[in-house]
Amino acid sequence: MALLEVRNLSVEFATHGGVVHAVENVDLTVDEGEVLGIVGESGSGKSVSSLAVMGLVAPNGRVTADRLSFAGHDLLALSRGQRRAITGRDVAMIFQEPMTSLNPCFTIGFQLVEGMRTHQGGSRAALRRRAVELLDQVGIPDPETRLKAFPHQLSGGMNQRVMIAMAIACNPRLLIADEPTTALDVTIQRQILELLLDLQRQRGMALILITHNMGVVAETAHRVAVMYAGQVVEERPAAELFRRPRHPYTAALLEALPERSAGHRRLAAIPGVVPGLGDRPDGCLFHPRCARAVDGCRRARPALAPDRSGAVRCILPLTQPLETV
Amino acid sequence: MGETAQMAARLAMAGDPAATEHRVVLEARDLARYYGVKRGVFRGHATVRAVDGVSFTLEAGRSLAVVGESGSGKSTLARVVTLIEPPTGGTLRLMGKDPFGADAATRRELRRAVQMVFQDPYGSLNPRQKIGAILEEPLIINTALKADERRERARAMLAAVGLRPEHYQRYPHMFSGGQRQRIAIARALMLNPRLVVADEPVSALDISIQAQVLNLMMDLQAELDLAYLFISHDLSVVRHIANDVLVMYLGKPVERGPKETVFERPRHPYTMALLAATPRVDPDDRVKPQIIKGELPSPLNPPPGCAFNSRCPYAQARCLAEVPALRAVEGRLAACHFAEEIAAKGT
Repeated sequence: MALLEVRNLSVEFATHGGVVHAVENVDLTVDEGEVLGIVGESGSGKSVSSLAVMGLVAPNGRVTADRLSFAGHDLLALSRGQRRAITGRDVAMIFQEPMTSLNPCFTIGFQLVEGMRTHQGGSRAALRRRAVELLDQVGIPDPETRLKAFPHQLSGGMNQRVMIAMAIACNPRLLIADEPTTALDVTIQRQILELLLDLQRQRGMALILITHNMGVVAETAHRVAVMYAGQVVEERPAAELFRRPRHPYTAALLEALPERSAGHRRLAAIPGVVPGLGDRPDGCLFHPRCARAVDGCRRARPALAPDRSGAVRCILPLTQPLETV
Repeated sequence: MGETAQMAARLAMAGDPAATEHRVVLEARDLARYYGVKRGVFRGHATVRAVDGVSFTLEAGRSLAVVGESGSGKSTLARVVTLIEPPTGGTLRLMGKDPFGADAATRRELRRAVQMVFQDPYGSLNPRQKIGAILEEPLIINTALKADERRERARAMLAAVGLRPEHYQRYPHMFSGGQRQRIAIARALMLNPRLVVADEPVSALDISIQAQVLNLMMDLQAELDLAYLFISHDLSVVRHIANDVLVMYLGKPVERGPKETVFERPRHPYTMALLAATPRVDPDDRVKPQIIKGELPSPLNPPPGCAFNSRCPYAQARCLAEVPALRAVEGRLAACHFAEEIAAKGT
């Protein structure tokens, strides 16, 4: 049984300019111990979907879904209090900006213990011991002294390690990492990714890794969902997706990568821009930028149709393997 | 140093020496920028060597990429090259002239020849100015052109960077990130510079937009014979756009040479680590993961000897004692005592 199951999730925001759809008809499943990568450009709804799972969507947002279940609990039917007992303990999340996600006014130790006290309780000494143990697990040297440090006294990489320690403090079954390495240098990014994957393997924890970096997903995820303008447009095992993408957007995105253009002077850019929240086109959301668009693409939104290894939201999916130039 | 200079000259002058001499836009020799920092009442002053002993030559129509992590000194280098700050050591020659020794008129002229494109297209454009005013401001300050001539130039530049004439009347908030970066590039080109310093120009952009902006920058370079000093931490972007690469670590150059040489056969352990740490989409391109430990040491208190020794998997006693010189190694310059030994071991 899937650990997390999301069916037909939509998130709307009421704004001055009317109702905008940040996320439309998103289906996602994550199994126990699985690493799911969600990739997409800015505005694709990848962060909002995960915030909806966590119940952290801003008050002006309306979350609807046919099904939103975690480990057998129907998250939509739970009261706020019941839901909070799950999120933060069984589902934890880390964010992009380690510097702004931590409270600058409190020590690392205080912030680390706070979550554990809420969800698990225990004596001060026991919580402190556990905090030291956690900092040690995430590779922070000299954890005893670091408990007294404030976030500004640590580097970005170290703060992200602290965030990870907080997230795994209550032994979550699912960890959602939203762009966990985007603000970090490459060598530190590599260290943090290895740390996340080690923890995931050791604990058999499921991991949702949200990123815009195709290389990061390709190297870490088992399965990948590609999002565009609030929808999942393609979903399949990572190796398959990067070798044989079937949605024209996935294919175009891969071709636009500098690393795939070896020897070519010009990059294969995708014309136009990602549609904003207020100006989503009719029909397929990608059709104005798609080289393969036909009349049918302009008329109706295609459904996410299952195929042999995954699913694709396109009426004319690519059938040939992508020519690797 | 003699050998280094010769090597640099050889690397720079691939073609006809006389012709290349003429095309040199920027020449840095042992460039240094130190900062004095107060550390509190009792601890006195310390010196941060933000840029220390950087040399290179850049010709018209070519791109030099400066690569390194945060704290490596690449942005300080950009500030010195754009004449925002004077160097504290070494010499800088723009179009063959020393801007810091020259008279005010020459310096003014040289300032026009170097322009900059910044990382964040949201922060680098004034939200209260219309695009037309943003593009014309450099002309108002630096030229005696009349209003209608300025307007004409601004409109021509909009077309050159792929924007429409009606955008002249709009404000920055009405544009997407990619379009704003086009505007920032247009502004940088208004005074017909010879050198454009681009500090992470595409790192804030989405992949599909990043490709558009990189294509535009390469088209403009070919058309206008521009030299680019391209600062980036993204090695796949650098690999695409650069001719030469300069890898910096804690203010010092650790490896410099033609792009293909450096990327295909890196000879400094730090370059190797950067390449190995870059995530790749294609499994065949992945380098054996070699995770380097630790983080960049504090620039206030760099380790003795080679600055990289605290994180280097190959560090030996000599690396702690002796600062490695930048020397010729297999067609590029590398600052490592054991470059040859590591290369023989690795591949």
